[in-house]
Order: sequence, then C-alpha cells, then structure tokens
Amino acid sequence: MGTDQRMVAHQDWSALRESETARMLAACSHCGACFDACPMIPYAPGAKGSDKSETVRGVLDVLTGGQGDAAARNWIAVCTRSASCNEACPEAVNPMLMLRLAKWRGNETGALPKRDAAETMSRVKVFARLSFTEDEQRDWL
Amino acid sequence: MTKSVFWYGCNMTRHGEIIRLSERILQAVGVDAAPVGGPSACCGSPKESTPRIAEGMGNRTMKSFNESGAPRVITWCPSCHMNLDDFMGQSNEQNFDSKHLCEALYEQRDRLAPLLTQTVNARFFVDRHVGFNGRVGVNEIIPELLGMIPGVSFADHSYRAPSYMCFGLAPIPGALADAQRATLDAMRETGADTLVTIFHSCHREMIGLERDHGIRVVNWVHLLAEGMGIAYEDEYKAWRNAEDPLAAIGAERVAAAGEVAVQKLVLPELTRPRLV
Repeated sequence: MGTDQRMVAHQDWSALRESETARMLAACSHCGACFDACPMIPYAPGAKGSDKSETVRGVLDVLTGGQGDAAARNWIAVCTRSASCNEACPEAVNPMLMLRLAKWRGNETGALPKRDAAETMSRVKVFARLSFTEDEQRDWL
Repeated sequence: MTKSVFWYGCNMTRHGEIIRLSERILQAVGVDAAPVGGPSACCGSPKESTPRIAEGMGNRTMKSFNESGAPRVITWCPSCHMNLDDFMGQSNEQNFDSKHLCEALYEQRDRLAPLLTQTVNARFFVDRHVGFNGRVGVNEIIPELLGMIPGVSFADHSYRAPSYMCFGLAPIPGALADAQRATLDAMRETGADTLVTIFHSCHREMIGLERDHGIRVVNWVHLLAEGMGIAYEDEYKAWRNAEDPLAAIGAERVAAAGEVAVQKLVLPELTRPRLV
C-alpha cells in the first residue's frame, strides 16, 4: 500500500484562513445562490425573506472581523455543512467553508457566541470508561 | 508491516461495539487497523470555537499519525475526515493516505461478499444526509455494501437530511425533530422496517425512535456484522431506551466509571427528551 506525501500548503491554520478569506472576498459576487440553496434558512431567525445579497455581504463582514447584520449572524449560526451552497455557487467560492470560517472569526470577535464544549471531552472519557475494557482504554485512547 | 490506523474519533467512545466490529470486519477482509481515538487523537472539531486550541489538537494528532508509520488512516467520523482534508493536512506534512471506513471495505467488497452468509430479514432505509457525501459517497457505498447481505432489501427514497450528520441539527430548535419526522414519513412510504444510521451522532439521535415508532434502528456496521454472523450488543441503545438507564448500565459499571461523573455527564444525555 502506498503512502501519500503531500506538500504543506499553508504554514498554519491562520495562514490558511487568511489565504482563503482573501480568495473568497475576491471571488464572491454576492449573487446569493448559496443563500437560495441553503436548507437551513428556515431555522435562521430573520434570514428568511431578507435581501440575500445583503445577507451574503453580512457574512463576509463577519468573516473579516465585523459584526454583520442579524440575518447574516443567524445564518452563520445555523450552518450545518450541508454543502448545498457549494453545489449552487457559480464562482466556486466554497460558501460552506466561508460560513465556517465566518463562524470562527465571529467566535473570536464576539459577534457570535461560542459553542459550549467545556464538558465534551470529560463526557467522552466517562463513556470510554463505561464502554471500553481496561485493555481497550489503554490501547485505543 | 505497520498496521493502518482506524481513527474512530472522540464521540465514538459511546459505541465501543462499533469500534470492535469495525476492527474485526476490516481484519476479516484482510485489513489490519488499530483503533485510535479519544481526546489524545482529536481533530480539533469539539474546540473549534477557539481555533487556536483546535489547531493545536489537530497538529498533535497529525504528528502522532505521521510518527506511527501507518500507511493509511481509516476514518469513521465525517468531522475528523473533513478536518484532516481541509485543515490538518493543509498545514502539516502527511505521510499516509486516508479513506473512510466504508471506502476501505468497499475496496475489499469481493472479499467481504462471501463472508456475508447469514440471512437478515430487514427492509432497510438508510439515514442519508447531504454534506459529507460530496467527499465520500457514503449514500451510495453503504446501501451497496448492505445490499450484499442475504435477505435484506433496500428501501430507496429521495429524502436527504440536512447537515452532514445529525450532530449539526441537534442544537438548532426544530431542525432535528423535522428531520426525524421526515425520516419516519419516508420509511412509511417505502415500507421500511429498519432504519440504518451511517454516523455515530445520527445513531445517538435516532435510536430513541425505536422505542415509540415500531421500527428497528441499527448502524450500518451492526447490519454488516449480523450478515457475517458476528454477535454484538448495542449497549448505548439499551441504555437510551431503558426506563432506568442507570439500572441498565449496572451499579458496578457505574461505580467503576465514577458515579458522580456518570450522574453529571451521562445520565442527562440518556434521559433527554424525545423530539417526536
């Protein structure tokens, strides 16, 4: 079986994010095809019926450190990575990644609340103690 | 030769039997893969609200995989799989190739088919989602693999749940309930009696339907194991659907895992409200 040795494309995640953000800003035409294709819009308060072009601009604002508007923030918050937007985008922006990176940026700036994952790993460990044998805990974790 | 890695992720610690079955089925078709996961082999996804922490976790896992010498990392979790492709592998050297478990088994389907000797009476509907299918064709591969089991029939339907797995729907008010209702409707339309989950978070959310809706819920790996005649017990499902989850787990195991921790972290999950 062969191995897969690839070039490192980015120095770190910050560099990757900066590079992708710049690419997205240049490529996005704010047409709103991603918005139209998204199955989660009905779950985003204020997004349904909003101006799709303005909402996309709001997402890009959050992506670049701004606050965006409520429709944009709520859309970002309900993104579940359906990738329906990627199929719809005529500019190959990768809107799914755009929304994900916007969420990260919004978490950092405070525009979007952080997911409470404080207990996630503790829960993972307790379930391991319940589900795994002692040998499995030693070998698998 | 160094074994491959079966990277089961972190939240799969709820489903030890799926890890055991996956390892055993891989071995049966000639693929030796050592299960690795939990907090020490994290893709960073649980901490991505703080990307710097997520990055550190992902980098540590990449270093571990590279140093292991494993020729291949076989993924289970779609979050891990996508983070490996989109972030970890973009900012680290990667000295291994990667495939999802269903792809690794599909590659060996000629060896898998003769092992599926047991008749399983099931008209199965697969809980298919959009999202991850663009990376790995789970929505086509898994029904094809399961279709090799004697006695089963595949209840095909056009419904695809939003989100790459149910994990994404759960915290959004109304979204998971809508997906569950649509799934049950689709099952009724097709005459399916068995709901097959693909991902662990979907299994976690869907097994509660078994108690009140007259259907059976299994993971796709469970169904393959049944076709191979491998016994297993889905303990998480038994706990979730028990009147008294702590009694179902058993006092001795609760004590061994830490009673306070089980009360605080496990019990609320097992007793959470059913949505439909």
